Amino acid sequence: MDLSQAYSMMMTDLGATLFLLIVAVSGLVLVVFDAFKPRHVATPWIAGLALSAGFVIEMMSIGAPEGLAWYDMMRTGGSAAFVNSLVLGSGALSIILTVPYLKKIGHNIGEVYAMILFATVGMLVLGAANNLVTVFVGLETMSICLYILTGFVRSESGSTESALKYFLLGAFSTGFFLYGIALIYGATGSMEFGAIRIAAEQSAGVMFWGGVSLLLVGFLFKVSAAPFHMWTPDVYQGAPTTITGFMSTASKAAAFAALVVVLWKALPAERWADVLAVFAVITMVIGNVIALSQQNIKRMLAYSSIAHAGYVLVGLASGSQAGYSGALFYLMVYTIMNIGAFGVLALLEWDGKEGSEQTLESLAGVGYRKPFLGWTMAVFMFSLSGFPPLAGFLGKWAVFAPAIDADLVWLAIIGVLTSAVSAYYYLRVLVVFFMKPEGENSPMAEHSFDIPRSSAAVLIACVVLLVVFGVTTFALDVTSGFFAADTVTQFLG
Amino acid sequence: MQPEMLIKLVVLLPLIGAAINGLGGLFVPALRNKEGLIGMIGTIMVLLPFLITVYLFIGFQGDAIISNAFTWMAAGDLTIGFDYRIDELSLLMTMIVTGVGSLIHLYSAGYMHGDDGYWRFFAYLNLFIFAMLNLVLGNNLVVLFLGWEGVGLCSYLLIGFWYKDRNNSKAASKAFIMNRIGDFAFLLAMFIIFREIGSLDFDAVLTDGLTMSQGSITATVLLLFIGATGKSAQIPLFTWLPDAMAGPTPVSALIHAATMVTSGLYLLARLSPLVLMAPGVMTVIAIVGAVTALVAATIAITQNDIKKVLAYSTVSQLGYMFLATGVGAFYVAIFHVMTHAFFKGCLFLGSGSVIHGMHEVEHELEHDGHGHHLDPQDMRTMGGLKKFMPATRMTFLISTLAIAGIPGLAGFFSKDEILFKAFEAGTHGIDVGLVVWVVGLITAFLTAVYMTRAYVLTFEGEPRWPHADKITPHESPWTMTVPLWVLAGMSVVGGYLGIPAVIAHGDLNWIHHWLAGEQGPVAEAAFEGHVALAVEWGLIALGSLIAIMGVWLGWRWYSKRGLSFDEKLAARFGGLYKLWQGKYFFDEAYDKTIVRPLIGGSIHGLAPFDKYVIDGLVNFTGFFTRGASFTLRYLQTGLVQSYAVAIVFGVVLLIWLMLF
Amino acid sequence: MTASILFFVLASVAIAAALGMLISRNPVNSALWLILNLFCVAGLYLTVNAEFIAVIQVLVYAGAIMVLFLFVIMLLNLSVLPDLKRIEWRRIIAFIMGMGLLAMLMFIVANTLDMVPDPVTLQVAAETGSATSLAKVLFTQYAMPLEVIGILLLAATIGAVVIAKKKPV
Repeated sequence: MDLSQAYSMMMTDLGATLFLLIVAVSGLVLVVFDAFKPRHVATPWIAGLALSAGFVIEMMSIGAPEGLAWYDMMRTGGSAAFVNSLVLGSGALSIILTVPYLKKIGHNIGEVYAMILFATVGMLVLGAANNLVTVFVGLETMSICLYILTGFVRSESGSTESALKYFLLGAFSTGFFLYGIALIYGATGSMEFGAIRIAAEQSAGVMFWGGVSLLLVGFLFKVSAAPFHMWTPDVYQGAPTTITGFMSTASKAAAFAALVVVLWKALPAERWADVLAVFAVITMVIGNVIALSQQNIKRMLAYSSIAHAGYVLVGLASGSQAGYSGALFYLMVYTIMNIGAFGVLALLEWDGKEGSEQTLESLAGVGYRKPFLGWTMAVFMFSLSGFPPLAGFLGKWAVFAPAIDADLVWLAIIGVLTSAVSAYYYLRVLVVFFMKPEGENSPMAEHSFDIPRSSAAVLIACVVLLVVFGVTTFALDVTSGFFAADTVTQFLG
Repeated sequence: MQPEMLIKLVVLLPLIGAAINGLGGLFVPALRNKEGLIGMIGTIMVLLPFLITVYLFIGFQGDAIISNAFTWMAAGDLTIGFDYRIDELSLLMTMIVTGVGSLIHLYSAGYMHGDDGYWRFFAYLNLFIFAMLNLVLGNNLVVLFLGWEGVGLCSYLLIGFWYKDRNNSKAASKAFIMNRIGDFAFLLAMFIIFREIGSLDFDAVLTDGLTMSQGSITATVLLLFIGATGKSAQIPLFTWLPDAMAGPTPVSALIHAATMVTSGLYLLARLSPLVLMAPGVMTVIAIVGAVTALVAATIAITQNDIKKVLAYSTVSQLGYMFLATGVGAFYVAIFHVMTHAFFKGCLFLGSGSVIHGMHEVEHELEHDGHGHHLDPQDMRTMGGLKKFMPATRMTFLISTLAIAGIPGLAGFFSKDEILFKAFEAGTHGIDVGLVVWVVGLITAFLTAVYMTRAYVLTFEGEPRWPHADKITPHESPWTMTVPLWVLAGMSVVGGYLGIPAVIAHGDLNWIHHWLAGEQGPVAEAAFEGHVALAVEWGLIALGSLIAIMGVWLGWRWYSKRGLSFDEKLAARFGGLYKLWQGKYFFDEAYDKTIVRPLIGGSIHGLAPFDKYVIDGLVNFTGFFTRGASFTLRYLQTGLVQSYAVAIVFGVVLLIWLMLF
Repeated sequence: MTASILFFVLASVAIAAALGMLISRNPVNSALWLILNLFCVAGLYLTVNAEFIAVIQVLVYAGAIMVLFLFVIMLLNLSVLPDLKRIEWRRIIAFIMGMGLLAMLMFIVANTLDMVPDPVTLQVAAETGSATSLAKVLFTQYAMPLEVIGILLLAATIGAVVIAKKKPV
């Protein structure tokens, strides 16, 4: 190939992935900037603006047709743009919440923002990947940054411990993932999604399906599906709270999006649906049941996030257009709910250990002391448990209904039953917030604080979005447009 | 501007008004005393839509215009848009709703003066208009149903507006629950339609819907009718309407006379082609309508509360409209809806004006320490008000004559048309037509009598409240009398929209051409041949005679004997009169046969079952799950090696599932 | 033929070395087994004529990373250091011979099952394995992942500094 031609092509691709360029370059700028002006006020602004700019760009290209860039390494427009805006939006909101939080815990260091940007780069690459190489590179970039974000509060042993656990297990699962890629390459001779599918539809042997299994291991680990979920409670509990919010939403969204695309474009429609169904059941049951007995509220939300991964897997197991689009919609709703919930928790923290020792009971009566936080939390909890008319309900419907259409009625029933169980622990939060009297020596009584306006704005935005997406279906219409049959053939052709 | 845009504006403006008044009052307490501002916003937000609707009406070309606001939901085969439909029927209904509505808003600005919940009242009222407009403008059954429930909710809120009195709350709950029974039937009808034809748009229902099996059609129409009996207060679900008079009088005028209660008629008229396919159900409708008309009219004769008289009169007139529907004369029913909105709105507002005046009397009595308790709604303590409230009296008289059916006034035309249609149906092979015609004639006579009674007891004769020589009521302010005059004027001229067929072969019957013309949205039963011209004239003469007789007799009886004539009636009719006075004991019967068995059954049967069996199961499930949770928790050891083992377990499971 | 036999020899030794690394109780021994394993893999690359990757494998893994490993192990203050004087040549020779035997047997079994890998021709090797062709692909087709890997490494470096800084921030 003529090299000069290759470079001009890359210039076009740079334009197509401008959002990625902005975020990556801003990250590099931040590293240098922070070295010369440590803890400068502009640092979070640069990060936030970069993410917001990317968000706006990607929001506008959601309507664009699906396209490819970088020698078919990445997808642009359509569902890729949707996932990218999800990731970027989640990152931007998290940064707004993180600024006052880091000041509060006294770890306001600039590298955190650079790390968030780099993690976002990884997620963007992962969510928009069209090639197993890109998937892997994105996944690893994201993971490395998240390990660091989990453990940067070194004065807190829980933080360091959870970072180490996360790192070790992450490396372990990466091994499986990489081996899976190697086997798939060996079986099909390609790492590009469309080519893999064409090859696999002609002949797919044990080697191919073994590779797919190992690939799924890597994905299921990242989305914390049971039994690959064990790291989740420890890491969510140990990481700084707003970072947990970011980690539990954006990384999950990106990993799930990549999984969706792999299932949709790279794999023949056989075998894997039942496998995913089994793991969906395990995940939903384990997540919801163990969450019941958690005293620490961050840990409870960690199990809840495991359970929600199970719901998304239900959508994927149906293997239909509606299932995939429902899963994407669910991820969006879940992102909004969780950012909000962790945002509230970050404000309510008093133990000085990133909430890792804070029990639910110690927050008794908070709903009266801080009615704003109480009520926003109520909205998030109701939405998480799937009460109409909030978006959580519509989301659950969007993933369970396709399962019923795909004759997986038993799966949907288990899903509904376990989410009924989940109402118990979500509503318990509200019971404690509003119906338990504040204890005599309640730490909350001594812990007075103001709610920063920026955080309040984020929480209100999340509440409004949950209501809007709960009563309107246009977002669902948007996501279901991504997986229309003609787009598949367009790619395969 | 385009009609599509304008119609959205029509619907949106009342909502904006409700939002401003409601949220403003809720969050900015300083706004609550600004009565002028609140009243003005409330009124203008209804007046503007009225003007827009008139503009649309003038420019209407004859083809239905559908305006899509947004797609509300799209799930599988079901697509529901927030579509609004502009056609002859919806335009007419919208004009009635916004026209009468804006008059009543204006009236309320004076009537509610000094009330603590002024802002709340106007917010609810505007919200009601919004819901009602959704009901009449919606282009599918779901939007209609949304409006249907919305008006039910607003009705509940407004009946219980003075919620501090427990009786008002009870009346509100009663209205809501009775409506819900009807709504349930309506929902079932919607399910049947959706199952059969897969769409709820009117266009589809009225084309594909007609090809449903006869059984489905009959079931659908019957269920729709049951829904309509709830909202439009027909037997057996009518008892809530008289109780609903607990709300402020403008509410009674707007919701429980002019608009909401007619929505059942609107529903049947909107789906008239479908209704016509179910002749059996139409017979039921005609009979239920006729019986309701007669029953309510007889009750009305015995009532002493001025608003109760009007309430039963409303039930009776609604029965008339259903009677018309039952003989296939849908456009006549809508015609009567319109004229009824004028004169009954005027009557209610007039009674409100009277109550307003009597309140004053009550206050002064208490203030002067006379210690008399006076019920400002009781006609027995009124009398002679014509001296003090001339405008109220004049308008009340006009509308009384109109509802009685005195020739030349609005009620005459619509009522006569209904009776004529019943007669026509009766002489063309629909046997029930003649029966309901006779019942209608009797009811017409009774209507003239009890309305004259109400008028005479209130305005004629000598004042009967204590210390009448010193304490006198005063005429209401202009905000209240202007709407009265406008409505009274409409009660005079409103009937000329539907001049009977005997004149110029029906060419002058505008409302017939408008609604049921070649392109009109309302179907009607077609009969072979015509009733002879002489017979038609004879019927008109008969109707006029009955009305004039009723008014004349009523006037003679009550102006001469006053209240004592009621005793004479009681003596003459004996047990029958007791039955009327006791409102046929519907409430008591419901209490004995439905309410008490339900409550008793739930206390003695369901409560223990719930406590021991259901709660036991629930507690066991909860206990079991929590136990499992506490056990499973120990899997999470915190050791990274055991986590890795779990992962390996997962890998093995996954590969095994995938490969075998 | 030679390439095939070589493949089996290297493969057997690589597997045996990996096992040895897992089994040995002494960390330094483990590290040395790992070095052997990495060298064998580098040799495997050579058998398919991928010289560039083979060299990188030796430089990066067997060289830099392993040295780092050994440093860490030494710095962690091990109680028992391996006794380097007692090298039994007999055992080493026995190991080599055993491996040779195993390789031959595996070759025979594979040959009967028709599972011997096809040798890579020189032409194919020149197209894929050489530094030039690798660079060309890396900087065109895989340019984007390459750049992202750059970010990954930067992030890892910064992270290492943040976490390992002496004074906690």
